[in-house]
Amino acid sequence: MSSQSQRVNKGISSLVRRLLVEIPDEDPSEAQERESNAIEFVKEVLESSRSPAVVADVNQASDLIKKRLLQTNPSPEKALRFTNLYTRLLSIPAINQKWAVLYFLYQLSDHQQKSTPVLTSPFKSPVKNRREGRKLDYGPPKSPDYGSRRDTQAFEEAFAPEGLMKLPTREGGQRDRKEEEQAFAKPPVVQRESVALKTALLADNYVEIDPPETALLRDLPFTLQGLSSTHLPFSSNSSLKLPPTLPVPIVSILHTLAEPSLLYRGLSSFVQSADGGLLGQSLRAAISGELRSYLGLVATLESQIRRTLVSLDEKEPRGGIGKAGVTLKRCVVWTREATMGLRLMSLISEESKSKRGGQLISLIHGFSSSHGDPMVGAFAERLLIHVTRPFYSMLRQWIYDGELSDPYHEFFVSERDPNAVTEAPDGRSRGGASSVWEDKYKLDEDMVPSIITQDFAQKVFLIGKSLNFIRYGCGDSQWVEDYSKAASKELRYGDTATLETWIDEAYKTTMARLIHLMAEKFHLFEHLKALKNYILLGQGDFIALLMESLASNLDRPAGAQYRHTLTAQLEHAIRGSNAQYDSPEVLRRLDARMLQLSHGDIGWDCFTLEYKIDAPVDVVVTEWGNRQYLKVFNFLWRIKRVEFALASTWRKCMTGARGVLQGEDANVAEAWKLTRGTLAEMIHFIGQLQYYILFEVIESSWDELQTAIHKEGCTLDDLIKAHTKYLNAITHKGLLGAKKKHNNEGPDENTFMVQLGEILRLMLSYRDAVDGLYSWSVSDFTRRQGAEVRTDSKGRREDEDGNLINTPATTRRGPHHLHDSTPALGADDSIADEFPVLRERLQALGAHFKTRVSLLLGDLAYQPDVDMRFLGVVMNFNDVYTPARKKSSRPAGREQGRSSAKG
Amino acid sequence: MPSEANRKQDKEIMAAQARQVIDVFHEISTLLNADLDRQTLSICISLIENGVNPEALASVIKELKKDAEETQKEILQSRGQR
Repeated sequence: MSSQSQRVNKGISSLVRRLLVEIPDEDPSEAQERESNAIEFVKEVLESSRSPAVVADVNQASDLIKKRLLQTNPSPEKALRFTNLYTRLLSIPAINQKWAVLYFLYQLSDHQQKSTPVLTSPFKSPVKNRREGRKLDYGPPKSPDYGSRRDTQAFEEAFAPEGLMKLPTREGGQRDRKEEEQAFAKPPVVQRESVALKTALLADNYVEIDPPETALLRDLPFTLQGLSSTHLPFSSNSSLKLPPTLPVPIVSILHTLAEPSLLYRGLSSFVQSADGGLLGQSLRAAISGELRSYLGLVATLESQIRRTLVSLDEKEPRGGIGKAGVTLKRCVVWTREATMGLRLMSLISEESKSKRGGQLISLIHGFSSSHGDPMVGAFAERLLIHVTRPFYSMLRQWIYDGELSDPYHEFFVSERDPNAVTEAPDGRSRGGASSVWEDKYKLDEDMVPSIITQDFAQKVFLIGKSLNFIRYGCGDSQWVEDYSKAASKELRYGDTATLETWIDEAYKTTMARLIHLMAEKFHLFEHLKALKNYILLGQGDFIALLMESLASNLDRPAGAQYRHTLTAQLEHAIRGSNAQYDSPEVLRRLDARMLQLSHGDIGWDCFTLEYKIDAPVDVVVTEWGNRQYLKVFNFLWRIKRVEFALASTWRKCMTGARGVLQGEDANVAEAWKLTRGTLAEMIHFIGQLQYYILFEVIESSWDELQTAIHKEGCTLDDLIKAHTKYLNAITHKGLLGAKKKHNNEGPDENTFMVQLGEILRLMLSYRDAVDGLYSWSVSDFTRRQGAEVRTDSKGRREDEDGNLINTPATTRRGPHHLHDSTPALGADDSIADEFPVLRERLQALGAHFKTRVSLLLGDLAYQPDVDMRFLGVVMNFNDVYTPARKKSSRPAGREQGRSSAKG
Repeated sequence: MPSEANRKQDKEIMAAQARQVIDVFHEISTLLNADLDRQTLSICISLIENGVNPEALASVIKELKKDAEETQKEILQSRGQR
């Protein structure tokens, strides 16, 4: 210790000796005394403050020096050199107190700058110059009094450009800090002189105002925080009262400063209000975060103002405020950027009142993406990060859990009100369990925020819907849980590309799983195949057997049909055909029943096969689809039935032609010939129609459906669409579509359905007529046979009987006997009279059938669909019919139809 | 003997380092226009190394310089008068 103080003493004395100036002609004792005085003084000073006032940090001292160098010289050359020196210094281990030495040098260097304001004096008006003269040597206080020295330091800092620089950088990250520093670092240095000059000039032309600027400055921080103060009270929530005594320029400055204050007031009340959903709350939180950083700015501003006001020199013009560095104008500049932010936020808060959810995000996103001002864009972007947080958490829940957690209805997917479901937009009510898929959720286009594109939203919607469906419709919540555990990721605003890949991934996984479930667990494809086989009559042997066994039953009136017989026959048909090898899962669902019966119907009209579809699969095979299937089945069933009837009649005729029907009467033979011709025509028609529907329509559509549903990446929606298309193709091409030209007769008059129905009815009644003719022929035959018996009663029939042993029971006698039955004509008048009536009826029906077919062919020939035109060509391949256009020939045909229907 | 030689070497190194330090500081001081010659600087450095408050030292030096200037002026004046 003693050696240290000794060394200090020695140092001090040598220092003093070096610095003292030799005064010539001075006696040595005086010099001695002067020297010792100086040494005393130095010692005293050094003793009085042992510890430094600044924190011991090498870097801080070097930073200070660097700054100083940058300020004093416009080129960075010297600062660069200093940095080099500094690194060299750090590498030398010789001394411990490097920072102190640096600081010491720093302290020594700055004494030259304090006089800079004085430089302005030559430019001042000569009148003032004299008065100023006295004050000019006010520079730094040069006394060794350290307390005041410290004050000067504070003053110095506030005044020096780096004092100003602190403000903008502290504005809570409103801009990148470094950018700011670079932007600000040079101009103050360059302009420093001119600013000083301007300040001085302004101070000269200064007028005293009331209340003084210092008072206004003192009140300003409160005003900026939206609090009333003595001079600037808030008169209402949205207005600030300015003192009336102020000059106009100050008033305009205060106007500018009032803007952030009022905006802040409005925003802080907005932040405190509580209505609005989650997104509204997150918007409030984001805004309140911004307001906090604004308050930080105000606090900085306040501390600057405080410091300035303390160090103000009352004797300076304008109370010295010109040199103090904080003026109202500066405050305006400092708050400008914050004001912009506040303005934007208040705009957003105003507009957000009428918006919610996705619209809110779209609004802010609109600012961030399409506003011309990059600052506004960046600001909105920052807000967006906070505001979208609840949105993304909702999105995450939706695409990874399939759950909608949206208490305020802000997400773009919303749950449909179950009561409002009944009326679907396209008129066909779907109802039932299918609503799980179609109706449980809906996509609200208005609520899709603009950060997400429409088809992207569609995808998201599908993902969530599928997950939900898997969980509730398919009862596979285990998988959903595993999936959400494995795949769940944090989503947030910003990285759109990764978000998209994630969502695509989720989409693929979910869809694949759903299709897998549909195919494996619920046998969707098997059901579709079964529907085609049984309902669309694809399984020929089964249908033929069913029809044969049911035929006699179904000829009876509808009231006499019993369910148990029907099901028993169905069972029999299944057992007897290849259907028995089908899986029990499928056969279990097959059911036969009667439709709603109306008076006068026979069994044929009411019978229907049914294929029962239950919960998850009915999403694809909807209620509507089921009805379409039924419609097609009924139509096909009728065709089948007519075919069956015609075929059995044809068979009867053919066998009869070899026996009972061989008459001598040319008229009767002619009638039979014509009848057979017409019958053959009808059979041809039915055959072509059946071929067309089964092979051209159903099979080709089925093929399309197969390719569609086995495509890679097929979704449930695609499946549903493909299936609907399949059904539509069948019903439309299968002549069941109800869309035809509407003329004034009514919409249903022209449809193929009605035309075909008419033709089929004609065929049935023709068959009845043929049966009538047949029974007439048979009775005619038996009558003639009876007459023959009467005339040939003498006997000679035994050998004949032996010849005809192999003919059917109805034709016990050979037809060659008929020619000699003429004598009996008179006795059987009543029977003979029936023949012309029957013939007439057959002729009328046959003609009517022909016109009908011509009409149908006329319609078919002008169909836009190639397949349907093809049907027309196939039916009329040798131009037997002349296809009739409706306009000319229709009325006549209708007349005929009516008359024949009556007859 | 080797220990003494070592010490000597050490001392030489130390001295070289000290000279280097003073060189660096001198350059910095000229950069900063601190207006100090080498010897004054080295005295100051040794003072600071011994725990003197750098701030106080700086003000002392400023004061002394001012005094020196004033005396210089007085001398000049008295000479001019004569």
